[in-house]
Amino acid sequence: MSEHTRGLSGGPVSRRTFLSTAGLTTAGAAATVAGFPAIVRAQTREVKVGYLLPVTGPLAYEAGLALNGLALAVDEINASGGIKSLGGAKITMMPGDTQNKVELGNSEASRLIDQGAVAIIGPFSSLVAFSVRQVTEKNKTPFLLLAAVADNLTEGGLKYIFRMQPNGRGMATLTVNNMFEMAKNANVPIKRVAMMHEDGNFGTTMGNHVEAFSKTMGYELVQRIPYNLRSPDLTSELSKVKAARPDLLIVSGYYGDSKLIAETAAKLRIGVSALVGLANAAYSNPKFIAENRELTEHLFDGNYWYNPQSARARAVFAAYQKKFGSTMANHGVQGYQVTFVLKDALERAASTDRDKIRDAIAKTNLSDQILTQDAIRFDDSGEGINATPALIQVQNGKPVVVGPARFAEAKPVFPVPKWKG
Amino acid sequence: MIARAAGALAVAALVALPPLLPKYHLEVLISVLFWAYLGIAWNLLGGYAGQFSFGHAAFFGIGAYTSTLLLLQVGLTPWVGMVLGGALAAAFGLFEGYLSFRYGLKGPYFSLVTLAFAEMLRVVGVNTKAVGSSLGLVVPSTRAAPEMFMFSGKLPYYYIILAMGALALALTWKIGRSRLGFSLAAVRENEDAAETAGVDALATKLRAMALSSFLTALGGTFYAQYFAYIDPTISFGPGVSIGALLPAIVGGAGTVLGPVLGSFVLTPLSELTRYVLRGRAGADIMLYGAILVLVISFLPQGIVGLVRERRARAGRR
Amino acid sequence: MTGGLLLQAVVSGLLLGGVYGLVASGLSLIFGVLRIINFAHGAVMMLAMYTTYWLFALAGVDPYLSVILTAPLFFALGVVIQKVVIEPNRSAAEHNQLLLTLGLALFFENLALVLWQGDFRTVRVAYSNASFMIGEALVEVPRLVASGGAVLMAVGLFAFLRLTDVGKALRALAEEPEGAALVGINVARIRAAAFGLGSACVAVAGALITPFFYVAPDVAESFNIMAFVVVVLGGMGNFMGALAGGFIVGLAESLGAAFLPGSLKQLVVFMIFVLVLLFRPQGLFGGSRDR
Repeated sequence: MSEHTRGLSGGPVSRRTFLSTAGLTTAGAAATVAGFPAIVRAQTREVKVGYLLPVTGPLAYEAGLALNGLALAVDEINASGGIKSLGGAKITMMPGDTQNKVELGNSEASRLIDQGAVAIIGPFSSLVAFSVRQVTEKNKTPFLLLAAVADNLTEGGLKYIFRMQPNGRGMATLTVNNMFEMAKNANVPIKRVAMMHEDGNFGTTMGNHVEAFSKTMGYELVQRIPYNLRSPDLTSELSKVKAARPDLLIVSGYYGDSKLIAETAAKLRIGVSALVGLANAAYSNPKFIAENRELTEHLFDGNYWYNPQSARARAVFAAYQKKFGSTMANHGVQGYQVTFVLKDALERAASTDRDKIRDAIAKTNLSDQILTQDAIRFDDSGEGINATPALIQVQNGKPVVVGPARFAEAKPVFPVPKWKG
Repeated sequence: MIARAAGALAVAALVALPPLLPKYHLEVLISVLFWAYLGIAWNLLGGYAGQFSFGHAAFFGIGAYTSTLLLLQVGLTPWVGMVLGGALAAAFGLFEGYLSFRYGLKGPYFSLVTLAFAEMLRVVGVNTKAVGSSLGLVVPSTRAAPEMFMFSGKLPYYYIILAMGALALALTWKIGRSRLGFSLAAVRENEDAAETAGVDALATKLRAMALSSFLTALGGTFYAQYFAYIDPTISFGPGVSIGALLPAIVGGAGTVLGPVLGSFVLTPLSELTRYVLRGRAGADIMLYGAILVLVISFLPQGIVGLVRERRARAGRR
Repeated sequence: MTGGLLLQAVVSGLLLGGVYGLVASGLSLIFGVLRIINFAHGAVMMLAMYTTYWLFALAGVDPYLSVILTAPLFFALGVVIQKVVIEPNRSAAEHNQLLLTLGLALFFENLALVLWQGDFRTVRVAYSNASFMIGEALVEVPRLVASGGAVLMAVGLFAFLRLTDVGKALRALAEEPEGAALVGINVARIRAAAFGLGSACVAVAGALITPFFYVAPDVAESFNIMAFVVVVLGGMGNFMGALAGGFIVGLAESLGAAFLPGSLKQLVVFMIFVLVLLFRPQGLFGGSRDR
């Protein structure tokens, strides 16, 4: 993680940027800033893009994954001649750290825009996104969401916000759909579902959808248990789940808490047909799987993923492995792909004008992409029309895509004997 | 004389310069004033009354939630909502203060009880659907409607928080010179002695509590309108509680200008450390923590204390 | 069915309570002698957990055995913190010392982030997943060991304070700060010993937690606030009380989780906390007298 971070922030450009901003903190240097956009215009051989990620704080690990994806894409674009319609301009990623705080989302977004970012990518948690989106909206700057799931982020007639990946509703309902389709094929009905989710915005969003979706799909939500992600013990909660005899346990959580749930569920012999993550930070995470081979075998997860049927996706996967020495997963895929959505828009806009870029993003129709979905396109509110999560299962220590069927690289193991107990 | 001129110059700069600033610097300045404002509010209880609250987020959150819920559900303008929120927070502060002071909680015990009240509100907020639970509340922010505390640019917010800060400062200054101010000082220095001298310690502390919580709640409304989003963890979490007390302590607890000076040092400092050390996750807050330790070690009376010491020394010469 | 749930809640509550007691005993000691809320306590535990992790990862040292190394190491760290950071500010306002520990906590937590990134790390030992059932209730062996460790540590501390000269001096200082100085005790030294001992205790706690929990820069947030609650419940400075307080909090949380909706279990704990603060600030089992 350290290596690429240095790669992104180092170099002569950012040092110059820093000097001018440091100078600004003394009141007299306001002139430097006024001159700044002019410099940017003169250097058409560079396109500045800002990222906002919770590099510090509770989501530091996940932010690192996304950062890998961004870095990989930027390197690939720049190495292959930059943005051709802009005379081979190179993309420069300017870092912003939100520390997962709303206030910092606001000020970091403003700083990046001041420094000439033509678009902003980020910021993971929905709460920070709510405050960033009004800065980007007021400054007419395209804002490409990463990971944030809150459905209402794109509501309110906003023009500059785009979400390539599924929102909370898409993530939850499509994953449940995938599970039901699989259960139907296996002739194992799912009648009773239990849900555990962390009690923040992310988990609650997921929980609400799984609850609401029960009517459509005709299952009974026998337990819904929100928990604080810092809970040092969840045995009582899981006993409650066990007592409700669910067919399926769905878990929306971050890394540590999801790990605790899987471990405790295994020890309690929870007796479900499958343990399913929903945008889970652990259950399809290669590092988690490598460190917990026995526990993780046959776990399911509905998550953002690359398409194993795509030759390009496989090449990106290999490049990621080579560059970072780790396996590409959910946020890495997103970071990579979202950069190419922007690259594609820049090529078509042939301009660094933010409004032109915005219009180009809105008209995106990108079929050369690595996700488990059809071409990337946006609706009027900026939501990805074809956004689909993959259903992943850990098999032989590797996360593999088992659904939707046309992207699947392996057959699902369902019901899972060890969870069935 | 020089101090007065410098002060006048600073005020003139605060009023006149912001329209010329780039967005980021305006954001930082708003942030400086916002934390200064919360520091001023905290200072009334924590500094002047000497009751070290570690849970001012409770009042902040009550303010933010009251005005925002009223805005979203009955369309009441936050200009009125913020006053109602302030009143509610003051009532809660009196309740909390009465319980604590009545049972003689002091020092760390008082700090912990205030922390516990804020945490309780946070847990209730997370678990209450009617107030949006963890999904939080989104404040409409895309249109400009001054009468609804909504503006299209950042500048109006700047002048609002500047005015709020100025009024709170004036109030602090006034209190410092009033009877209440003398009672507060007496209670802070030695409660028993104050009681013997005829000061009603309980009533004095409660007054400080009510004022402090009322002002803090107004800050909550400002936050909600400015950042356009609140949730239980932001509003009632320890971040706000610490953010309110730090500028006051670093600047000089129990002094009029302390919180302002504190915020003018701390907020840019955290921006600067983040900027200098970006790309190395955590290094900035690490440095910030170290600087905090140094500042408290070398300026035990805060920045104001340092200035006073210098002056006293100069006077002796 | 509810019987099984109740049994499980009680069992896990006691196990969790032991862990809380373990974390809180050092905190209680530091408070009893120094009269400060040490916000850096959890951060020190986190550093100890990393030490345990690295000893295991690099040298294959068993987490339980590593206590022999980490306890003295963190005793030394505690002494240094007290001598270099806290003691020079002894005469400053009480809240300044609290903020010093807050600054230290920020420093340590982010030092860990700089050094080891945000990755979650786990120590996988043979007994990590060992567990057995009592009736329908699950008992995890490493948690049981940690709870047993909490009891042993409380007894050990108790004996230490009664039987050794340093221990007696610590008690004297906790009970009569001025008197202790009068009878010729080197109070600065004893205060350093108190902080050292408190840090050693939490280092042991960290080592005992590592086999069943993850290690991350902000891992202490899972225990921090509860540790304060436990200390108050037991009576600040009374670590036998802290142990009992730990069990109470653990039970309250666990029963709350089993029988309350949502994530309201924390509310139960805070309510107990506030009630104790208001009506019995010396703690349920007696502690420092002044409020």
